[in-house]
Amino acid sequence: MAEDPQRNFRSAYYEKVGFRGVEEKKSLEILLKDNPLDVEKLCTFSQRFPLPSMYRIHVWKVQLGILPPHSDSHSLVMGYRREQYRDILEALKAIRVVHAATPQVEVYLRMFQLEAQELSRSSELAPPGEDDENFLSIAKSMEEIVEDPVDCYWLIKCFVTQFNNKFGDTVPHLPKSLEHYLNMEDSRLLTHLKSCGALTKLPYDPWFWRCFSGCLPESSLQRVWDKVISGSCKILVFVAVEILLSYKNKLMGMKRLEGILQFLANVRQFRSLEYLLQDVCMQCHRHSTSLSFKITITGSQGNGFFCSSYL
Amino acid sequence: MAREQPHMGDLLPLLESSDLHQVEEVKDLIRDHLNQDRGAVLVNGLVDYYLETGSTEAMHFLSSVREPHDKHLLDKMNECMASRACRLHTLTLLGHVVRKEPSWIHKIARFPLLLSLLKCLKTDTDVVVLITGVLVLIILLPMIPQPGKQQLYEFFDIFGRLAAWNLKNSGRVTEVYLVHLHASVYSLFHRLYGMYPCNFVSYLRSHYSMKENMDTFEEVVKPMLEHVRIHPELVTGTQDHELDPTRWKRYEIHDIVIECAKVSLDPKEASCEEGYSSAPEHFSAPQPLRHLDCGSSPYADFHSSCGSSSSTLFSTPRQAMTSLSGMQPPYRSPQGSRHQIGELNNSCGLKDPFWTPASVCGMTTPPPSRGISPTGIAESTRSSSNFPGRIHGTLGSSKGMPSFSTPVTATPPPTLSDVFSNASRSSGTSSPPRKDNRSLEYLKPGLVRQEPISELERSHMEAVETGDDSSDNIPMTLTELSSFVEEQQSAEQEEDALMQELLKITEDPPQLPSQWGLDSPFCHTTETLTGSQAPGPVALGLSLSHECHAEATSGTDRPEGAPDLFTPIDCPVPNQQSPPAPEDEAEAPNKAVICFPSPCGAATPSYEALFDLALPKAAPHFVRRRTSEALRRAGAEEGEEAGPGPSVGPPTPPSPLEVLDRLVQQGKDAHDKALKRLPLLSKSADWTHFGAGSAPLDELHTLRSQLLLLHNQLLYERYKREQHAVRNRRLLRRIIKATALEEQNSAMKDQLNLQNMDILSLKESLQVEQQRYHQLWEDREAVVTRLHSQIRQLQQGRDEYYTKNQELQSKLLECQKMTGKLEAELQKANNVVCNMGHQLSQLSIKLTTSESMQQQMAFLNKQLLLLGEVNKLCMEELQHSGTDTSKEQQMMLASSDKELERLRLSLVTQAQHLEAAQQRIGELEAHLTKKEHLVVEQKKFLEDVKAQAKGELQASESRYQAQRRVTQALQTELLQLYSRLEVESPATGGGPVPAGGTVQPHSLSVPR
Repeated sequence: MAEDPQRNFRSAYYEKVGFRGVEEKKSLEILLKDNPLDVEKLCTFSQRFPLPSMYRIHVWKVQLGILPPHSDSHSLVMGYRREQYRDILEALKAIRVVHAATPQVEVYLRMFQLEAQELSRSSELAPPGEDDENFLSIAKSMEEIVEDPVDCYWLIKCFVTQFNNKFGDTVPHLPKSLEHYLNMEDSRLLTHLKSCGALTKLPYDPWFWRCFSGCLPESSLQRVWDKVISGSCKILVFVAVEILLSYKNKLMGMKRLEGILQFLANVRQFRSLEYLLQDVCMQCHRHSTSLSFKITITGSQGNGFFCSSYL
Repeated sequence: MAREQPHMGDLLPLLESSDLHQVEEVKDLIRDHLNQDRGAVLVNGLVDYYLETGSTEAMHFLSSVREPHDKHLLDKMNECMASRACRLHTLTLLGHVVRKEPSWIHKIARFPLLLSLLKCLKTDTDVVVLITGVLVLIILLPMIPQPGKQQLYEFFDIFGRLAAWNLKNSGRVTEVYLVHLHASVYSLFHRLYGMYPCNFVSYLRSHYSMKENMDTFEEVVKPMLEHVRIHPELVTGTQDHELDPTRWKRYEIHDIVIECAKVSLDPKEASCEEGYSSAPEHFSAPQPLRHLDCGSSPYADFHSSCGSSSSTLFSTPRQAMTSLSGMQPPYRSPQGSRHQIGELNNSCGLKDPFWTPASVCGMTTPPPSRGISPTGIAESTRSSSNFPGRIHGTLGSSKGMPSFSTPVTATPPPTLSDVFSNASRSSGTSSPPRKDNRSLEYLKPGLVRQEPISELERSHMEAVETGDDSSDNIPMTLTELSSFVEEQQSAEQEEDALMQELLKITEDPPQLPSQWGLDSPFCHTTETLTGSQAPGPVALGLSLSHECHAEATSGTDRPEGAPDLFTPIDCPVPNQQSPPAPEDEAEAPNKAVICFPSPCGAATPSYEALFDLALPKAAPHFVRRRTSEALRRAGAEEGEEAGPGPSVGPPTPPSPLEVLDRLVQQGKDAHDKALKRLPLLSKSADWTHFGAGSAPLDELHTLRSQLLLLHNQLLYERYKREQHAVRNRRLLRRIIKATALEEQNSAMKDQLNLQNMDILSLKESLQVEQQRYHQLWEDREAVVTRLHSQIRQLQQGRDEYYTKNQELQSKLLECQKMTGKLEAELQKANNVVCNMGHQLSQLSIKLTTSESMQQQMAFLNKQLLLLGEVNKLCMEELQHSGTDTSKEQQMMLASSDKELERLRLSLVTQAQHLEAAQQRIGELEAHLTKKEHLVVEQKKFLEDVKAQAKGELQASESRYQAQRRVTQALQTELLQLYSRLEVESPATGGGPVPAGGTVQPHSLSVPR
């Protein structure tokens, strides 16, 4: 590490005094210089560090397979994607499923449905129902994050598809995992929630199925999604635990179930969750050691940072 | 009930029946009936009956009525109060009932009877009723000590009204009544002032601050105020506090009465109880004693006068004194010689402060108080007034009685005691200044104060002597007045008068000094006393003596001395204390003169004189009227009378009670004289004979009501006396307790002394023990120090031993080390020896082996030599055989050399070939690796490309899929539209359209 002339010699100390992410941008740039991009490395990197926002969309695209690892074909593939988007949009307009007044989110939904062959005929077209709520919520958050509608559509589509494929089986077990961690962190809060009957009634759907979309401000949400996209859904549990802990005092004060639920539904408004997410990262770190999660040291890699897997 | 009641009503008159047995039966009947019946009828009947007849039996029943009947009785009396006629009787009855102190009397405050009584007192105009009512009220007040504010002010109003009565009605009502009324008002004043001082004083303040009431205050209330001291409650109490019901809770009735009496300065009202005499007791003690002596002297005189005739006047005092002193040895009369007085004063000084009249008189047990009812005495005096001895006896007996000190009755003993208490009180007030001036000796004041007495005595003795010599001389030495009197009297009456005067004067001295002491202790001298003060008493005494004289002339009875006996006792009292105005002074002799010739005015003039005394300020106009009358009638003699009697300094008004007493006595005198004078005359003749009373019936009525009033007064006084008796008994018990406690105290003191002694002895022994202890302590100290020094020495020795011991031990250790070293060396040496032995044995073994080896060497050397010889032999043999095969061998060797040469050449060529080939191989191999590398790279690239292509392919694939979906969607849309078209236009017949419709999707999908 030390003999690497490329790196800032101070980087060793930055981490020591808690300035994390100083060297991240550089590291990421090095990573992105590889011609066939190493998706695996990118994933570990985004697990470990917050992504710089200027590379976020690009990295997400690569991670989600919207862009191939080869950067040579990026423009070509991106052209394909754009055309595909345009075609689908045209078709939807042609069959009058969407029109100019249709909200962009619904447009995305219809496109997604069309591609999934789930779109009913335009004459029988029903307004988006309960089942589409997850998609709509994610789409809405994504729309806030991404400007370009083509990118946005593709990111939504691939995110949803990947999440459902990858974590579809895991998500139903997350509430139990939440209980477990909460018990470790603060058993009093857990018993309080249990006694109020709130534990089973916590807003699991928005938290886990929608990956906090709508629950957290977008700036925070991006960082959560970094982890989710890079393949960790445990992060959802930790965020949930941290939310509960940080509002512990208020929650302990409330006895009524409705009050607690009302309060948690409004978490988004209380503060920007930057701090919270830092805490979450710390927590992840702590748990990853305390729970004896396997830590793989990839010291052989030239970038020389620790990569840990959370799953 | 209805049947029985008339029966009971009929029975009532039988109470008065002469048959004693029948009366008893009726009494029992009524008593039973009262016990059983709770109705009001019988009580009402009794009341009516009493009101009709005034029956004493009925009165007894009514006054002892029990609880359930009290209401009826009180209601009935309330009814009766309404009618004017029976008001007086009702009040009398009420008085009886109240004096009985029934247990329910406190309830009276709640009954309307009290209100009607108060109303009666406020509105009634009949003096007799008023006096009776006031007396009842006075008795009643201590029984209901917690009146409401309103009630209290009603009492005050009554007082104000009655006080003003005297002044307002003096012209209309008989003066006698006024005296009575004044006495009752006086008592009421005392009671109210004693019980509610603050309220009463505030009432007085508010009431008499009004202008119209000022006269009343000046003449009636102010003199009364002079008879009371400041009530302590005025200092500490408040008006509201006085009305506090708890205030009187602890007090019984007699306590309240005494409380009221305590604040009084009037000897008739006051009690000389503990705590209220202003002078220390050891000062006041001698005074009573001397006054007792002085008081006793009249009796002595009396005695002597009774016992012996008037011939030995000069010697009588001494005889009396000696006779009295025989009875009471320690108390000498002041008339005795100086040394006797000294003795007396000494004895007085030595006397303990607990002085009581009873103890002085040698009486230890109080006789039954009922025994000497004043009426009895009065009767006895009336009935047997002829016998002075008898009177003397009664006086003597009554002298020692406890009533002696109480002013309850109007009989001589009380008056004596009046004198006595008065003197004691005055001396009590006068003694403090004397204490300031002179040293605290009892003897001196006594002696000094004795002087005027003796002087007076001397003067009187002179007078008597001169009187003996010639009758004319006596009045000259005394007064002109007396000389005038002397002229009027016959020879034997002269003696009487002399005797009276003597009595009077002998009685005077003790009081005169006291008077002097009271007024101004230092200014007055005996001269002024005799000059100014003497005429008064003499004049009055003379006035009385004139009456006696008049009676004597009419009755011509020798034993008239009996009534005379009262006068000298009575007269001095007012004379000393009365401050008669000059007019009064002059008037008294005048009246005496006036009355003298006319036998009829015996009673009335004396009342007038008394009235003057009682109401000194109110009297003048009345007196003036009388005087004018008298002046008209009297001749030139008056002129002589007016001269004497210069005015005395500011006087103290006499107590109304005293005035009343005197009134009673004078009335009795008059009565007795009248009886004696007119024993044979009928009443009517009597009245007509007198002719002075305007209407006999009126007079009779006056006299009757007067009698009634007297009776009432008497009953009131008796009631007071009973209260005092109750209190006396209580006090006696307290005294007994106190003495017991004192004895206990002294016993305790003795014990204390004994214990003190014990303590002293114990202290001494303690000191001895302490000394011993000190010695022992020192001894011990010495031993301890010695032992300490020994211990120190021993310790030093021990330390030395210790050091030596240590040295020796260190040496021992060294020795041990040495021995250890030596042993180690020994061991080493032994080891060396052992090693040597071992080596020796080894060397010997080696030696043996080396010897055997030498032998073998020698053997081998021989063999070697042998073999060398053999070898030489063999070499010789070999040289001999090798020369036969060399040619052939040389040839073969040559050929083989040649062949070898050729082979070598070929080998070189071969090696050259090989080298070239190897070079070629190396080249080829490098080429090959290059190729392989290239292939790998190509493969990688291919993979890359493949992956790239794959990605692109995937993208296009997805695009294709998307296209398909789009197409599908469009197709479905299209199909839907077709189907709708078909449905909509079946008639137009769109035959070719379906075929085209089926083809179109393919044609659409192909171009894209």
